[in-house]
Amino acid sequence: MHSTIQLNVNGDRRTAGIPAHYTLLETLRYALGLTGSKQGCDKGDCGACTVLLDGAPILSCITPAWEAEGREVRTVEGIAMPGELHALQHAFEVTGGAQCGFCTPGVLMSAYALLSTNGDPSLDDVRDALSGNLCRCTGYTKIYEAVLMAAQALKRDGGGRDPVPGDRDAAVVPAERAAGE
Amino acid sequence: MRPEELRPRQAGSAIAPESLEELAGEGAGSMSVIGRRNRKVDGAGKVTGATVYTDDMALPGMLHGKILRSPHPHANILSIDTTRAEALPGVHAVLTGREMPVTYCVIPWTRDEYPLCVDRVRYIGDGVAAVAAVDEDTANRALRLIDVEYELLEPILEPERALDADAPQIHEAGKPGRNGNITKHVHLEFGDVDAALADSDVVVEDEYFFQGSSHTPIEPHCAIGLYDATGKLTVWSATQVPHYLHRELARVLDLDVARIRVVQPAVGGAFGGKSEPFDLEFCVAALSRKCGRPVKILYTREEVFYAHRGRHPMKMKYRTGASRDGRIRAVDGKLLLDGGAYASFGLVTAYYSGQLLTAPYKFDTYRFDSTRVYTNKPACGPKRGHGSVQPRFAFEVQLDQVAERLGIDPMELRRRNFIGERTRTINELRVTSNGFLQCLDAVERSSAWSDKFRRMPFGRGVGVAGSCYISGTNYPIYPNEMPQAAVQIQIERSGRVAVFTGASEIGQGSNSMVAYIAAEELGVPLEYVRVHSTDSDMTPVDLGAYSSRETFMVGNACLMAASDLRKRITAVIANEWDTAAAQVGLAAGWAFDLSDTERRIPISEAFNIAEAKLGTLAAVGHYNTPKDVHGEYRGGTIGASPAYSFTAHVAEVDVDVETGVVDVRKIWIAHDCGRALNPVLVEGQMEGSAYMGFGEALMEEQVFKDADHGRAGLHNAPSLLDYRIPTSMDTPELESLIIESLDPEGPYGAKEAGEGPLHPSIPAIANAIYDAIGVRMNAMPFSPPNVWRALQAGGAREAWERARRDMKRTEVAAD
Amino acid sequence: MLRLHEYTYHRPGSVAEAARLLASHPGRARVIAGGTDLMPNMKHGLFTPEHVIALKQIGELHGIEERDGELVIGAAESLASVSRHPVVRAQFASLSQAAGSVAGPQLRNMGTIGGNLCLDTRCTYYNQTHFWRNALGYCLKKDGDVCHVTKVGRKCVAAHSADTAGVLMTLGAVADLESVNGARSVPVVDFFIADGIENTVREWNEIVTRVRIPLPSPRTRTAFQKVRQRGAIDFPLLNIAVVAQLGAALAIEDLRIVVSALGARPRVISGLDKVAVGRPLDEETTEAVAQRAFQQCHPLTNIIVDPDWRRAMVPVHVRRALTELAAGSVTAAE
Repeated sequence: MHSTIQLNVNGDRRTAGIPAHYTLLETLRYALGLTGSKQGCDKGDCGACTVLLDGAPILSCITPAWEAEGREVRTVEGIAMPGELHALQHAFEVTGGAQCGFCTPGVLMSAYALLSTNGDPSLDDVRDALSGNLCRCTGYTKIYEAVLMAAQALKRDGGGRDPVPGDRDAAVVPAERAAGE
Repeated sequence: MRPEELRPRQAGSAIAPESLEELAGEGAGSMSVIGRRNRKVDGAGKVTGATVYTDDMALPGMLHGKILRSPHPHANILSIDTTRAEALPGVHAVLTGREMPVTYCVIPWTRDEYPLCVDRVRYIGDGVAAVAAVDEDTANRALRLIDVEYELLEPILEPERALDADAPQIHEAGKPGRNGNITKHVHLEFGDVDAALADSDVVVEDEYFFQGSSHTPIEPHCAIGLYDATGKLTVWSATQVPHYLHRELARVLDLDVARIRVVQPAVGGAFGGKSEPFDLEFCVAALSRKCGRPVKILYTREEVFYAHRGRHPMKMKYRTGASRDGRIRAVDGKLLLDGGAYASFGLVTAYYSGQLLTAPYKFDTYRFDSTRVYTNKPACGPKRGHGSVQPRFAFEVQLDQVAERLGIDPMELRRRNFIGERTRTINELRVTSNGFLQCLDAVERSSAWSDKFRRMPFGRGVGVAGSCYISGTNYPIYPNEMPQAAVQIQIERSGRVAVFTGASEIGQGSNSMVAYIAAEELGVPLEYVRVHSTDSDMTPVDLGAYSSRETFMVGNACLMAASDLRKRITAVIANEWDTAAAQVGLAAGWAFDLSDTERRIPISEAFNIAEAKLGTLAAVGHYNTPKDVHGEYRGGTIGASPAYSFTAHVAEVDVDVETGVVDVRKIWIAHDCGRALNPVLVEGQMEGSAYMGFGEALMEEQVFKDADHGRAGLHNAPSLLDYRIPTSMDTPELESLIIESLDPEGPYGAKEAGEGPLHPSIPAIANAIYDAIGVRMNAMPFSPPNVWRALQAGGAREAWERARRDMKRTEVAAD
Repeated sequence: MLRLHEYTYHRPGSVAEAARLLASHPGRARVIAGGTDLMPNMKHGLFTPEHVIALKQIGELHGIEERDGELVIGAAESLASVSRHPVVRAQFASLSQAAGSVAGPQLRNMGTIGGNLCLDTRCTYYNQTHFWRNALGYCLKKDGDVCHVTKVGRKCVAAHSADTAGVLMTLGAVADLESVNGARSVPVVDFFIADGIENTVREWNEIVTRVRIPLPSPRTRTAFQKVRQRGAIDFPLLNIAVVAQLGAALAIEDLRIVVSALGARPRVISGLDKVAVGRPLDEETTEAVAQRAFQQCHPLTNIIVDPDWRRAMVPVHVRRALTELAAGSVTAAE
């Protein structure tokens, strides 16, 4: 019943044996051990499972695993550099954008996609980009603050469009510099 | 270790070693961690996906469990045949209620629930049997092979029906002749209410309805059980009360409590929805005991709605009498609570629905009569602001009505009735600090209240409401004299400080809270504090994350342990430096002389010196509540808390009178949290609370089909698509205004912040709607159809104009 | 977690191959594009095909281009790309708005215009788990024989819930379909039937390959109104699509209005030639049109929000749409 699937996840080529009816989320979490992406609603209603497929945020809990084969998958585990947080992650920490943290991976991926296409988003842009991610803890206020703070940090650092693999440096703000904000 | 390396990795207000001068200059009371905008200690894990929640765990050989649930709202179980399921390849264990025929409940006096139903099911979704299999698909297949024979009984959906003499009995009555459908009745009277009402200049009487709502944490409940070959049981669970779970597991499974280990991994939100044991925790334990393999059960979102324990629907009648100058003479409330199928925390809910209304306003007399009944729906329980959000909604709307009748600005009316600080309420609750007036001032100023109230065009309005809430309860759920909270701290030679706490981190920041206190007292940077929480093999007992008790109680316990260590260490260093212990500062990675900050050593060196002198550095701290400050009457202990928080909100709305759509533009939230140990976290609680209240006010409905609509007792919408919680597009702008009253007994003066700030959002919105369109929304939610229907009923415009005229007249009179 | 049933996943490289696969498993296969409708429905056990045939990666189903006086949209183009496409925004504001209002951002990246057209009808008694439907006793649309909405009806009244379909109807769009038996084109206005169980004329072996929309004249104005509880994620409680040809002094030369999220078939408001065409788009005409729409629309309890209110919202939002048209503010999506 199992078949072998090859996935490009966070720049790694990964192989896993999965049942044909696995979703991308089940494959990431239970076959590849990438448990950062969460499942909250079972069926595409909450956004906790959001990952990027070829750079666009999608809901991995209702995406057949095979639909991702041969494409670039990016998850919350794939946005930090070794030993250094991405500007968004850093901003979420500073502003208290993550409380229980369960929606956070999905929120981060939606925000990451936003910042990769819009370097100077307005508050309305942020609200719109995150409108498919339910958060039950924060009232979203500190999440907005975090995304806007990250956008500013990326802009100041002069690069910071899509931090594709190999070009991530531009998007990473050393913790101390952003701490001065 | 170089001290420079110890620089805290903090947000904005980090203290650098060169700032020691500044700290020293501010005197002994200055603080380097407390009150500053620090990171959370577990934040990095949460933003990188590294944090491990229960469903992120996989144990070797782990099986997957599923629970068979009742498709009937009320039925007798005639037989259960599991033979076909047991025969299915891949199935390792099948379990029925008869194997665990022990009732449980978080409240020891009202145990009425079996882990799996034994002979009766009481709501659609009640657990009947469980299986463990090699994977979820096999477990699901096995469920379909379990044959259950039911005898259907009449279901009760409406609480009024439960009170009928001829109503079917959902549970057997405790005493013959009683109605078994009544789970708790409380009637308390303080002063002569009837006389005070008769003597009042105005009496306002009205009815209110609070719809049920669900906590809806984004993480569904999940548990893993492992009963190993030595007879030791370990349960990992997404719970917010690991200690109560520990006790109930031992009782139900008849195991020595010392042979059970309960671990609470990171929890993805709870809000009261994970504050008692659930069927899945007993089932993973019992299934593992049966088959010797670890077993995991993860609820589907639908099962989360069935597990419920959310807000009780309440039908409420209130009468308030006031004198001409606005003083509250009498409050008389009658409440009917729809409890669902089991007791849960209901005994407490019934008391809280009356007991917690008596501040921040002074009542001359007060009476409440609260009845909680069983119905054939998922059990209600504690949701953020347990038991008091509903009456607070009703009463704050009623105060608005009183203010209107008297022609007094509702902001002013609330001020005039302020109960004060260091006082007692009419029902003898002891109030210590009280920053409610400052809360009112803050929201009044920030919202530009006086420019808006009764002054905006038809369709736009503002409303105000206030509230109070407990910082934990003086009496634990199971009677005992032991401390409510305890913390152990151990200092390692490198400068690392380990804090062991039983406090449940559920996203509110309790792990960070103890770290801030330890770092403050011991002078280490935050990242040198490691917090180990909620593992019963490692951490001292704590009662759990409910009733907003963690900061106050665990904070005090941590402060006791940390300051004990601090005293010992500074004494040793003072001796070395030939100065007084009070002259030795510990901060930001240094031990230093307060009068000469050039004289300093890295904190690890100070620890080493102290360890050499005193032996291993460790301390325990505990906190117990005052036990002598409550009313001397039956129920007088319920609602008694060491300190109360106070809140005021102003909401501004824009109502589309054609559609009934209420656009809440902004909520100003002022909250007296005593002291903000970390303002970022306090604001997060305030914003999250206001958001949750907003969702209940406008859209959330835990409601059920009836016989005319499909099937009686069937949940209307058990999914995150149809049970609607607000998205980023819906949520209003939220502005937090922290008020610090510095409570005499709280750690550094701190009180709760996690639940209080929810209460006023709902009545503030209701009152704003009235200001906007002259319609009293006494029934929730204020959804477009409900507001539209209220507008269709007529008279809105006239009421709106009258309110304005009355206000003008009073203003003229005042001039 | 809700689990999917076991199935075989096919990824054909061409429409012809997909059509062959579909034809070779009668009754046992379904096509999937974005999966935003089929996947949740499969998790609910509403469909259990042995074969799932993926369309989204087929190149010939992509592309948005102007050709022969039409805008041709490949059926597998995502709702996000349709709503953001410069030509769509400039020429078909209502389509851009409708596609941009479907669910949330992630779903719009996944969901396709072809899939939205073929969206299964929805009902409170249908879009539920197997456990729930079993407790209910099932319904007419799936596994049962009673309609819990109408009680007596022998016809399923599950609600058409696609946001773009009504708009495409008003715009005179045509859907191209292909099967092993060949290709055909169906005007979108004829694409739907009043049967909630299968509410389109698409045969079981057919695949929607593209949607073609005639390019508008300079006098064309469009408007779209969606009523939902939340600002995102939700399916519509009511959708109103309007296209008008307006001459000098706002004289109405043609007016088409489609209201959906009522029953299985989007409702084309009839009789507008009597009350609107030839008249100026003023307050009086607007009111007459709004009342026509009100009289013809009868929301049901298939959606869990108060049908009386939903009905009352019909004229309100028709008025708003027409007011927008008259103001001429909607020539392009915002």
